[in-house]
Amino acid sequence: MKEKRTSGGFYAWLFQRITGVILFVLLLVHFWVTHGLPKPEGVTYERIAPRLATPTWKVIDMLFLVCALYHGLNGVWMVVQDYVDSELWQGIIFFLLVTVGGILFFLGAITVIPFKAAV
Amino acid sequence: MAEYTFRIFRYDPEKDETGRVQEYRFEPEPGWTVLDALNYIKWNLDGSLTYRRACRHGICGSCGMTINGKNRLACETQLKDLGTTVVTIEPLRGFPVIKDLLADMPPFHDKHYPLKPYLLTRTPPPTDKERLQSPEDRKKLDGKYECILCGCCTSSCPTYWADKNFLGPNALLKAARFLFDSRDEGFEERVNVIDDKHGVWRCHTIFNCVEACPKELNPTQAIVDLRKLMLRGRL
Repeated sequence: MKEKRTSGGFYAWLFQRITGVILFVLLLVHFWVTHGLPKPEGVTYERIAPRLATPTWKVIDMLFLVCALYHGLNGVWMVVQDYVDSELWQGIIFFLLVTVGGILFFLGAITVIPFKAAV
Repeated sequence: MAEYTFRIFRYDPEKDETGRVQEYRFEPEPGWTVLDALNYIKWNLDGSLTYRRACRHGICGSCGMTINGKNRLACETQLKDLGTTVVTIEPLRGFPVIKDLLADMPPFHDKHYPLKPYLLTRTPPPTDKERLQSPEDRKKLDGKYECILCGCCTSSCPTYWADKNFLGPNALLKAARFLFDSRDEGFEERVNVIDDKHGVWRCHTIFNCVEACPKELNPTQAIVDLRKLMLRGRL
């Protein structure tokens, strides 16, 4: 093959799988704890907010945030690599994805980290 | 047999701007394959029909084409097994069309060159015997060496349709055939080619290649095996 070959793809592939497994586990935990499955309970501020204000849940929610952003945006990036040939456009879209990821991470972090339950 | 309708993709680069479908109706003889029907059309109805054929026994891989939406070898596909009397025949998808059912295969074959699809050795061979391989090591190549290069797998791969630089299931199966060969010493050279964003990591595990392979090989499994091999090498 004549075209220039570039290294890469391994870590994107590996972390897509790792974050996928973490998200699967976290989603089960989320549904179990928040929605009280298998016996559904009401999702009320009084029941949820004190738990979200604990350091443990802040760590879990930050992990959720990081994994969800990476998994989702990396998935979009994989589709872009499939369908966008132009290196210029790939670069522009990559920059946009990283920017969107950064903004969403910032918004998530300032919501999760300083959260205090006003109960 | 009943009368069959053959709906065949036709394209002549000297006359047509784009492809068209031409219909032929006749009664095939019992036991005919799709290739027999194509031969009948070419020899009796329309000599201008162009397609690739050679061995007629499912060995050469020349007559891979899309038959009723599935990639198959025309010589191995019995008309009665199609379950319909309307047979649509198109050239393999994902490749440029030269004429009628003749797909241009160099984009497919070119993927093999960087992989060096032959035994690579650095150590000198034994002087009194050939390079021996244990039956257990030989068994590791089952399902990897039988490929006949028909192109049905790569042509069915949506990732290849989108990314023409993707090595494709066939070249990756070929890489696995040598990387898992106990006699081969070309590990670094081959891994450098497949460890690429257009290589082994590009596959999205769609399994179309497994469905398409007329030899019932499993390129997806070979790709997974390659990933495991490379993961172990990195970690």
